[in-house]
Amino acid sequence: MTDLNKLYKQTILEHNRNPRNFGKPESWTHHAEGLNAICGDLVNVYLTIEEDVISSIAYDGESCAISMASASMMTEFIKNRTVKDALEKFELFCQLMAKGSDVKHIDDLAALNHLVTVKKFPSRIKSATLCWHAMAAAINGQATATTE
Amino acid sequence: MLNNKNYRDQFPGLHQEVHGKPLVYLDNAATAQRPQVVIDAINDYYVNHNANIHRGVHSLSESATDLYENARKSLAKLLNAPSEKDLIFVRGCTEAVNLVAQTFVRSRVQKGDEILISHLEHHSNIVPWQLLCEQTGAVLKVIPMNDAGELCLEQLDDLLTDKTKFMSVVHVSNALGTINPVKEMVAKAHAKGVPVMLDGAQATPHLKVDVQDLDCDFYTVSGHKMYGPTGSGVLYGKAEHLEAMPPYHGGGEMISKVTFESTVYNAVPAKFEAGTPNIAGGIGLGAAAEFMMSIGLENIEQRDAELKSYAEQALLTVPGLRLVGNAKHKSPVFSFVIDGIHAHDIGTIIDHHGVAIRTGHHCTMPIFQYFGLAGSCRASFAFYNTEAEVDVLVGALKKAIAMFE
Ligand SMILES: Cc1ncc(COP(=O)(O)O)c(C=O)c1O
Repeated sequence: MTDLNKLYKQTILEHNRNPRNFGKPESWTHHAEGLNAICGDLVNVYLTIEEDVISSIAYDGESCAISMASASMMTEFIKNRTVKDALEKFELFCQLMAKGSDVKHIDDLAALNHLVTVKKFPSRIKSATLCWHAMAAAINGQATATTE
Repeated sequence: MLNNKNYRDQFPGLHQEVHGKPLVYLDNAATAQRPQVVIDAINDYYVNHNANIHRGVHSLSESATDLYENARKSLAKLLNAPSEKDLIFVRGCTEAVNLVAQTFVRSRVQKGDEILISHLEHHSNIVPWQLLCEQTGAVLKVIPMNDAGELCLEQLDDLLTDKTKFMSVVHVSNALGTINPVKEMVAKAHAKGVPVMLDGAQATPHLKVDVQDLDCDFYTVSGHKMYGPTGSGVLYGKAEHLEAMPPYHGGGEMISKVTFESTVYNAVPAKFEAGTPNIAGGIGLGAAAEFMMSIGLENIEQRDAELKSYAEQALLTVPGLRLVGNAKHKSPVFSFVIDGIHAHDIGTIIDHHGVAIRTGHHCTMPIFQYFGLAGSCRASFAFYNTEAEVDVLVGALKKAIAMFE
């Protein structure tokens, strides 16, 4: 199987078929919109933060399968973490996905490591990181985030 | 008849592999590949004639100037302009629109006046007008389109009011391929005394363009879409307009006399060409124009028609594929969506089969807002593409669909 096939078959499509935490919730305390102007990708991230813990997290939007799967994986991974922990994981995820870096695996990121294959398609890295930028923006009280 | 094989051989960029597969280049509407003669013309300037133009008495400067001015003549011939002096070298269509907006149109509009464009415009023929409207209080009006991606021309007469000061419309849509009946549109606008600019970015690579027959006031050409260099292009303008227009950029070359008190501008077209231009680009663009004329625009049009009908039929065999825009008059550009698969995923997957297409909104967001889509896949053909390449595209699309099953 090619890298591309592997990426889609093993990771992306599973989350596309069974997206976790998808849909706009009834209430939230923090929200930001992630916008990738060049691709037209759009992801909304909604957080409920109670006593510094992200007690719930959801997303919706309109974008490619990579971006939607990454958001699904992120919400699963981030839920019930402290804000500080979530922001640290955001930094780690950025390190994992940095264009041109040869980081192949970061233990703390667990299943998110599957997305490292996206690095082989550099034009798509921003699809995978968009939701993370939106989450960090929401925590920091910004309304919108971009990957630029 | 056009011998496709021979012409393919003249485009070195077509003969390479992507992800181990032969390149199938179907992103010609974004930018075309360049023939060897264009690459050679650029190289020849830098190697044998490298000098600044219009300012040296030495031999190299003279030969460089000749090459540059001959390129202007080639473009005048391609467009059937009355004189090469009616052509201004620019960076591309984007600069041409901004130039006309900020010189010709800005000096004519006041608060409440109207500028008319169409729903099919590229962002480069929308945003410069919005800037002008902000500066002057003028109002932007839009000719609507229908589900086929054709303009609703029956509304044109009503949209041309006594407040309309300028109309700027695209000749051929880059997103949908629609060929607008621009000659008729120009006539309607002129009947109301409204000058017209046509965006020819996607027309010159495909159609025989005759600016005198169209009777347009301005016509824009993008070099890189018609097999010429990036950052090259020309703006055609009727001589009386170019004479009357104020300059765009100030600087060297566009003057004939400068003192600290005042400046006398140079004659047209130099008046609009401040600073050292893209000399190699202009020369390369001239070579591209000569190349197209040597093939014959009628041959290119015929080849386009063949490819268009073959590709349309082939694409419709792909399950779940829906074409966006099916204008009666269309160039070989196909925008499409596939049920349940986002355009970017398709783009990435078929790239792995060597197929280059564009995905997204193609700098025409209002078109996709009309269709309620975030974007599309776009396969855009040039005369050097083949039926076999259409088959590779269709095969790759079917494989992408299979992956999602
Ligand atoms: C219809 C149309 N108009 C204008 C442009 C802009 O042209 P240029 O790249 O020469 O500025 C393009 C190219 O993207 C186009 O397709």
